Amino acid sequence: MNTNPLKLIGIVILTALVHSARAELKWEETSVDLRPAIGDKQSVAHFKYENVGKTPVYFKSVHASCGCTAAQTQKEQVAPGEKGEVTATFNIGGRTGTQVKTVTVQTDDPDPSRATTVLTLKAVITPLLEIQPALVFWQNGEEPKPKIITAKANKDAAIKKLEVTSSVPDFTAKVDAGSAPNEFKISVQPRDTTKAVYATLSIKPDSPANAANIFAVAARVMPPAPTAAPASTPAIKSTLSTIRHDLATPAPTAASPSQ
Amino acid sequence: MKVSAVRQALLLIALAFMPAIGEAIYFRNRVSWQSAISASELVTVDQARSWGDNVIWVDARPDNEFERDHIPGAILLNEDRWNELLPQFLGQWSPEKQVVVYCSAQSCNASREVAKRLREEAQLKDVFVLGGGWEEWLNNKR
Repeated sequence: MNTNPLKLIGIVILTALVHSARAELKWEETSVDLRPAIGDKQSVAHFKYENVGKTPVYFKSVHASCGCTAAQTQKEQVAPGEKGEVTATFNIGGRTGTQVKTVTVQTDDPDPSRATTVLTLKAVITPLLEIQPALVFWQNGEEPKPKIITAKANKDAAIKKLEVTSSVPDFTAKVDAGSAPNEFKISVQPRDTTKAVYATLSIKPDSPANAANIFAVAARVMPPAPTAAPASTPAIKSTLSTIRHDLATPAPTAASPSQ
Repeated sequence: MKVSAVRQALLLIALAFMPAIGEAIYFRNRVSWQSAISASELVTVDQARSWGDNVIWVDARPDNEFERDHIPGAILLNEDRWNELLPQFLGQWSPEKQVVVYCSAQSCNASREVAKRLREEAQLKDVFVLGGGWEEWLNNKR
């Protein structure tokens, strides 16, 4: 019963070796770091594999963790010795920062621990412009003083100028250089704060020349605060609620005078 | 004999720890699959329902899932079309209301990301994530 510790280590190592010898699909790497360029719409990760076993491997399913990622195999079955790859196409959309997505691959490997492989793609998305805040608003009747939106341009994008336009004439917007390099200060001011107004402010950088690079923020004058009404009937409450909803809803067109 | 058994047990435990320690060192810089969220930012279906009309529901799922079905009155705001949808949402936002963001299920991360961006980029307060997401809403459907 007094087993030599060296024997024990040997048994553990041998067990591990036997276990690895049964593995068939060998992945070059199961985690990929992506660095999409500014403005890229998609980023593709390639996960390469090789069937190092003696029998064919059949892909049962390939499933991405999010709807923003589409994963596919080149083939359904991989013969012994054959190489291939699983591609994962990540649609960037409006995402920024570090994004981690996974793709779960299931094969017909009889060993359950080898049958499922989780592939991970990590993408670091640097935005062209970092805008804060995305909303400036004034309470109804508040003094119509300008409010500032800061836009920090990516230093690699060489942006020299921003063009800001309001969807309605009730707001004016002025752009100045910020306190730091590649920074802009957008000063937004309402003409009047006695009526509820909503505007989309479109921010267009002069570089790169791409129509898709238009950013939007919102400016609003809020509707009057609801006053404590005397005990009203449900019908009156419903009408008030409808009016408030209408006031808070964005103007359908830039020319709408009521907004 | 007892001492020997204990020694062997300790040796086995130590061996079992080795790959875990190696993995912890190798993956030390890997980010979590889910954004961190504090308990105070999570709400249950019942809690959100108790707020009545003072809730703005935000659906962070992809367009097609929103079109299929959604919480009545929910506003679509996902990261696929963030630049386009964010101003539309902000036009309907109201400072008196709580914002509750949801995605497909407990395992999804989209609602956490959207809630985080609403707090940081739009600087909104009272933004919450619905625990269990759409799946939990369906389970609690009355």
